[in-house]
Amino acid sequence: MTAGSIDAGLSGRDPHTPESTLDRPRDYLHAQSTLRSWFLTTDHKRIAILYLTSITLFFIIGAVAAGVVRLALVVPNGAILNNDNYNKAFTLHGVVMVWFFLIPSIPATFGNFLIPLMIGAKDLAFPKLNLTSWYIFMAGALFTMISVVLGGIDTGWTFYAPLSTAFSNTWVLPALIGVTIVGFSSILTGLNFVVTIHTMRAPGMTWFRLPIFVWTHYATSLIFLLATPVITVALILLVAERAFHVGVFDPAYGGDPVLFQHLFWFYSHPAVYIMVLPGMGVISEIVPAFAQKKLFGYKFVAYAAIGLASVTFFVWGHHMFVNGQSDLASLVFSGLSFAVAVPSAVKVYNWTATIHKGSLRLDTPMLYAMGYIGLFVLGGLTGLFLATLAINQHIHATYFVVAHFHYIMVGGTVLAFLGGLHFWWPKFTGRMYNESWGRVSALLIFIGFNVTFFPQFILGYLGMPRRYATYPAEFQLLNVLSSAGATILAAGYIFPMLYLVYSIWWGRRAPGNPWQAKGLEWETTSPPPTLNFITPPKVPNQPYDYPIKVTETGGTPA
Amino acid sequence: MNSRGAAHHDGAKVGIELAHHFETVEQQRYAATLGIWAWLLTELLLFAALFLTALILRVTHPEAVKLATGHLKFWIGAVNTVVLICSSLTMSAAIEFSRMGWQRAMVRAMLATAGLGTLFLLLKGYEYYADYEEHMMPFLSRRPYELHESPASRLFVNLYYVATSLHALHLFTGIGLLLGMTWMAAKAGFLARHQNWIEVYGLYWHFIDLVWILAFPILYVVNRGA
Amino acid sequence: MQERSALELWPASASSVAVEADYLILAFTVLTLLLTVPVFLAISYFAVRYREGVDADRDTSNQRSFLIEISWMLIPFLLTLIFFVWGARIFVESKNPPPDAMTVEAIGRQWMWKYQHPTGQSEINDLHVPIDQPIHIRLTSQDVIHAFYLPALRIQMGVVPGRTTDLWFKANRTGTYRLYCSEYCGTDHSLMGGNLTIMTQGEYQEWLTHSGAQQSAPAAGRALYESYGCASCHDPGATVKAPRLAGLYGSQVELEGGRKIVADEEYLRARILNPNENRLAAGYKQIMPSFAGVIPADDLARIVDYLKAYHSTEGEARP
Repeated sequence: MTAGSIDAGLSGRDPHTPESTLDRPRDYLHAQSTLRSWFLTTDHKRIAILYLTSITLFFIIGAVAAGVVRLALVVPNGAILNNDNYNKAFTLHGVVMVWFFLIPSIPATFGNFLIPLMIGAKDLAFPKLNLTSWYIFMAGALFTMISVVLGGIDTGWTFYAPLSTAFSNTWVLPALIGVTIVGFSSILTGLNFVVTIHTMRAPGMTWFRLPIFVWTHYATSLIFLLATPVITVALILLVAERAFHVGVFDPAYGGDPVLFQHLFWFYSHPAVYIMVLPGMGVISEIVPAFAQKKLFGYKFVAYAAIGLASVTFFVWGHHMFVNGQSDLASLVFSGLSFAVAVPSAVKVYNWTATIHKGSLRLDTPMLYAMGYIGLFVLGGLTGLFLATLAINQHIHATYFVVAHFHYIMVGGTVLAFLGGLHFWWPKFTGRMYNESWGRVSALLIFIGFNVTFFPQFILGYLGMPRRYATYPAEFQLLNVLSSAGATILAAGYIFPMLYLVYSIWWGRRAPGNPWQAKGLEWETTSPPPTLNFITPPKVPNQPYDYPIKVTETGGTPA
Repeated sequence: MNSRGAAHHDGAKVGIELAHHFETVEQQRYAATLGIWAWLLTELLLFAALFLTALILRVTHPEAVKLATGHLKFWIGAVNTVVLICSSLTMSAAIEFSRMGWQRAMVRAMLATAGLGTLFLLLKGYEYYADYEEHMMPFLSRRPYELHESPASRLFVNLYYVATSLHALHLFTGIGLLLGMTWMAAKAGFLARHQNWIEVYGLYWHFIDLVWILAFPILYVVNRGA
Repeated sequence: MQERSALELWPASASSVAVEADYLILAFTVLTLLLTVPVFLAISYFAVRYREGVDADRDTSNQRSFLIEISWMLIPFLLTLIFFVWGARIFVESKNPPPDAMTVEAIGRQWMWKYQHPTGQSEINDLHVPIDQPIHIRLTSQDVIHAFYLPALRIQMGVVPGRTTDLWFKANRTGTYRLYCSEYCGTDHSLMGGNLTIMTQGEYQEWLTHSGAQQSAPAAGRALYESYGCASCHDPGATVKAPRLAGLYGSQVELEGGRKIVADEEYLRARILNPNENRLAAGYKQIMPSFAGVIPADDLARIVDYLKAYHSTEGEARP
């Protein structure tokens, strides 16, 4: 295909033409309008909106706590916040962001909304279970909030024993129980996705025609199913030890607190990929759509998702290099951790290769996606620094770690979340947001994020330990810089909330496929009707069937 | 599209009712089966983490664990194993009857299953009581612990309580669900609409049995000594 | 400790291992740049070169995906493996203290460090060690998990209750450096640290002989005073009704029943070890637990020394 004919083919993109709204069933948003019809819905799309609303709420709580933390760290001597309140603030930030925002973020909202649409199903396999998951999530999250209302917790989001079981005088129990409950919500969501992807695919939707978004959610769901029960047990044991003195970690009786860390990280390292994999799925949808080009190395990217989900179960020990784990175990875990680089590199290089020779349009979702790639690469490689034993001995539990996981979690997951939100917003709401505002927000977040977190790499290397309410004066300038960046970042977060909400009522009506994207979700109306498709979809084509093809020669496994 | 998998016996229809979001009953049946297997997998990992912890304690404190297992009621555990295996048999019978459309026999088999499950809980309750009498509840601060000269034995005893009570909780929930389903299944037309519920539930019951069959050797039997 | 500026961009290093760790980090940073900068440049270049509407060669017929995939899977991986091996070698060496190492016992507790030198001297929070001598620190915790972190030596080690962990180093530069607790351990986690002073052999011997005098320093006593929980009841702002101790030493105390007594050293000592004795200060309830058998003699001496020097102004000045 020559360049000219492609450009001609693309010139037909006109997002400004609304489609006829006559002669079609009412969309899912307007199918019913009572409050009861929302709280008792079994429609996966409405449940996704319930999740979107609730995790936005938790994001705001977590972000305010982060703001308090950054404000306190402007001065080194703890003059703004005393030690106790500082510890409660960073624990609140961690608990809320990890357990109630990052873990459910993309799977429970976009996954819920899009998986049935993308595979051509009418709903998830178990719609009532899906609603139950949301109620379990809310019950657990609100239970945890009880501890915040009563006075907070100061254990850190990792709840290490014996600090959490015997020494902390704060409201640890409600938080532990709440997080345990939320785990069941994750398990049920994962179960629903696995069954749906196995059994509900439309005619012609073979495994290798699934969008990468579905592949990554399949991998994520496996982690939900296999890892979450382990943290459930670890937390049950903590609750038993703290509440009833039925302890198995208690060092006073010869118990081993490091055993808790093993159980905890057996879940919580894979949990990192619960947060990362869905983001990779989002980026794998956005990049081909805005390059109008088939995703490069589709099968490799699909296998890389499964590969990441598998390798991640064997690297948990890299959180314990300096915690009295045997040296041999540390060597093995360090080596295995380097293997994570392989599937991660596959993803990044394939996205870059997809952009190569594409027909690029730098709209808001694409800007977020490009920011994601940059930050994820930095976050991933600094992860290898931490996996290197001799380096880990220095920067373990310093701000280097804080910077590293924020590059993965915020630079990765949150940017993917926002990119996906802008990409599918027309599909969710049937409205377009203001494009220039979107671009400004993407830029603000990218700049704000780097100003906030890059100095923390340096702080960590200089030896500033994490979770410090007070710190030596020589670290002040970098801390002030980081806090200044946080204000830019905050502006970048608030801005999309305003113009996206504005667009719900006053935005332009969105056509079914505003981006000329491929995939079944774009073949139905925006917003889709209650049972998703007016005519049952069939899938005759390969995935990512964009105008610019990738000719795969050189022995690609068919 | 046939919305009812048909199998006639004694005039009763056996099959499942198609839900709105599935295309065929086969798809619906497959989804339900896969769903319960996925759930059982996650449950298995839940208990596996506990059993693994028990085995780790055996490695780190072999003497203390041996001392503690000596005080567990081996014979009650063994009888309970037999009780649960029998209940799995009656549950299997209930599934067979449901397939053949023998509704009344199925309901009786389900009641027998619930009865055996209750017997297990009663025996387990008696075992806890006997533990209490023997001062084998180290977490009761007012009741001196029998093995106080071996602090590490507390860890294993504690784990025993967490593991067995979590299993008992599963069994208790299971009996509740089973009785609720028996009540619904006694009504006319149940097998024509929801026969696969019995199959799906049967898998869960067998799983509870399986967990106990794993728990019994790991907690009671391994290096029990003379 | 020398004055520090508000910004430092390179941490001090005080051992050859620290220097090698720095080389490792530096080399890894270079590799990171080699692997990421091309990606960033490529994305930026493609974003401009292949923008929609720009006339460009979009012929993709000779993109050989399989070979490319394998190469970008394996080449970066193999390059990073070099660093795995390098890092592992330094790590393994850092795990085996030489037989001639001098062993210092260290105990972590909320929120202080206590060290015992092989010659018997002990110190709180600040640690003094000789240069060019392998120092082996055996660590354990009395309560929660802590971690002992010496940034100038690029090492840290977890301090776990119920087990002993080890760390060793051989410093090659004298000076005063920071030491921290790097595993979050509760309220005053960020205060659980001190200075590591590396001195010449002569200075170290000198220090050992005078350590008794140096360790009566109020700072060490204050750390113990907080660590044993005295401050949580006896300091201004505590919720428990307990007598204030600032300026107590040498003053007249009215006891229950009207007797009066001068609070001398013996009185302070006895009150800590056995508060149940019939010498209760008037107007207070008997709620303080006995510390007999809990506080070792050297810690008790330090706390009493601290109380002797504890004047009310100092007490009020603390937040």
